[in-house]
Amino acid sequence: MKTARFIALVLLAGCFAGIIHGTANLVIVEPYLDEAIGIENQNLFSSGEKQDTPEFWVEYSSYRDWQKGGQVLAGAILGTSVGALFGIIFAFSRRSLPGNHNVKKALILAGIMWLTIYFIPFLKYPANPPTVGDPETVVLRSILYLSFIAISGFGALGFYKLSNRLDKGKKIAVILGYAVFISIIFVAMPQNPDEVTAPMDLVIGFRAMSVIAVSIYWIALGIILGAFWQKLQPDKSLQTYTS
Amino acid sequence: MSNFEEIIVSKQAVPTFAVVILALIFGFGLFLVGYDQGHLFSIIQGAEAFDDLFIHELTHDMRHAAGFPCH
Ligand SMILES: [Zn+2]
Repeated sequence: MKTARFIALVLLAGCFAGIIHGTANLVIVEPYLDEAIGIENQNLFSSGEKQDTPEFWVEYSSYRDWQKGGQVLAGAILGTSVGALFGIIFAFSRRSLPGNHNVKKALILAGIMWLTIYFIPFLKYPANPPTVGDPETVVLRSILYLSFIAISGFGALGFYKLSNRLDKGKKIAVILGYAVFISIIFVAMPQNPDEVTAPMDLVIGFRAMSVIAVSIYWIALGIILGAFWQKLQPDKSLQTYTS
Repeated sequence: MSNFEEIIVSKQAVPTFAVVILALIFGFGLFLVGYDQGHLFSIIQGAEAFDDLFIHELTHDMRHAAGFPCH
């Protein structure tokens, strides 16, 4: 495989998909973040911690602009790094993925990864808008969330390895095996310790938009990386023989 | 007389070097967006970075939107 070409196409695909993700967030998720932070500000005023003065709002809007501007940049960073993981797994599994076009293969893998390392963990530990999380528990919540993602991801990988040793007809058993495995983990893992105090329709709206934006990322990643791979064929090289 | 023959050779082996580079980028980027609380800039900026939270504020909205635990 052509190393430089492989690395470059993976990183570029991830970066582009991440920029799309950040842009989608700006459009559909930011309104919910603004609303949540608005509630937070009201709480600060009513508890007397902050004063509702023009100075407050000047400072507030300057760091909010900074945070919003960060969406696209952070999207590019996160997109590139998740894309790097995707690229590694795609390179190893490409031949066993169904389909004869790389875009199709990449989309199938993106779908599997979306489900196992994003959506199932999301169902257990859903995204929350600002004001919900207790700063005291952020380390615990991070450990729980990351562990669940890692267990689900490695579990899926383990069952995939197992499926290579089975006959074609028995592959469905592997999917069932993963389903049982992840259901047990799902029930066994402790709940998010924080109580949701924000208005429920704000939280639900935020979560729905968050899922849509992340899903857009995975679809974009599959299409872009698959198309780059199809075009650049990093695992093939043209050799000239003289006979 | 010689005949030239072109064939496409498929090299399946995934280069270890590429896997290491990509894995490092994955770990670093995930930490930066999901978990940094001033760690990266503290390397050059010292303890002040933990108050400035430069990276945290920059990646903050994405942290919430992508489902990472936050405030
Ligand atoms: Zn936050």
